[in-house]
Amino acid sequence: MRVPVLATATGTLMAMALLLGSCMGPMPRPLHPVNSRLEALGATREPSLSGRWLALISGRGGREQVMLLDLERQQPQPLIGLNRADAQPLSVSIDAAGEKIALVRQLEGRTELVLYRRSLQSLQPIAMVPNGVPKAVQLQADGRQLAVQVSRNGIWQVDLIQIP
Amino acid sequence: MAGCSGGPWFGRRSAGPAGGLGEASRQEPALSGQGRLLASVVERSSGPTLLLQEQPSGRVVNLRHFQRHQPHSSPSLSWNGRYVAALVQQGSQRVPLIEDRLSGALHRLPLPADHTALRLSLAPEAGRLAVQVALDGQLRVQLFDLTGLLEPDRPGGMAIQGGGPGAPP
Repeated sequence: MRVPVLATATGTLMAMALLLGSCMGPMPRPLHPVNSRLEALGATREPSLSGRWLALISGRGGREQVMLLDLERQQPQPLIGLNRADAQPLSVSIDAAGEKIALVRQLEGRTELVLYRRSLQSLQPIAMVPNGVPKAVQLQADGRQLAVQVSRNGIWQVDLIQIP
Repeated sequence: MAGCSGGPWFGRRSAGPAGGLGEASRQEPALSGQGRLLASVVERSSGPTLLLQEQPSGRVVNLRHFQRHQPHSSPSLSWNGRYVAALVQQGSQRVPLIEDRLSGALHRLPLPADHTALRLSLAPEAGRLAVQVALDGQLRVQLFDLTGLLEPDRPGGMAIQGGGPGAPP
């Protein structure tokens, strides 16, 4: 006598699941292999996705650095000349080609915006004009312009800076 | 490593008035893939609110689903600005939302109750979403696959005019 009851209950659950599924539609799925790799990095923050790339700030033991992951190969990429032991990264952004990385960082008591080009391993400071303190940066995906949140006279402003 | 000073060759300009609010504070900028749209968070009477503007005109683009649930934070745009992602407040939770400006659809990313979402990054082609969460006192970035949920928004795709179906005029 129990089998039909169980069968009925199972059928009801399946029907409810089907109904819920059809109501809710497809859902975002966690990318487990990448998430496991990220978890192994310790604390991670300030993600920037573009193309096949994920740039972020990761840290262990109080020291933070910019990391770049190639999501297709699931491998970290070298960023020679970008990270410094005496700098604190605050905000990072990458373009879709994976060539340019914009970074706001604190170094020697100053907060600065820098642009890193991976193919050249070059780091170029970008001055705030008029003077201001940058806080957050975002590179547009084609790498030709960046938007930066700047504090001036107690007001947050947004500057748009074209990149040659 | 080559280094050089911040030279004057960077063309630059202010993003301009925040939707007619003059000197109002504007935070958390996000550009679409080719810079035609700028999203930012501005102060409104209802709290920090997502503002989408065309560039360089500054014309405000209406959004259908980001009128309520302030504070808004961490906006992110796809290549042509078809998708607008941001965090909103729903009850006691910070919830990632994605508005499809072409279809008018709204996509909500439910997170476990012990995850507090803090930042978002939507991939320009809209295939992935990165969410920074606070979990057990630690900051973590988690990635989600959106390929079954969203159509790709590739470079060179159609620019979407206005605020999409159902948007206020």
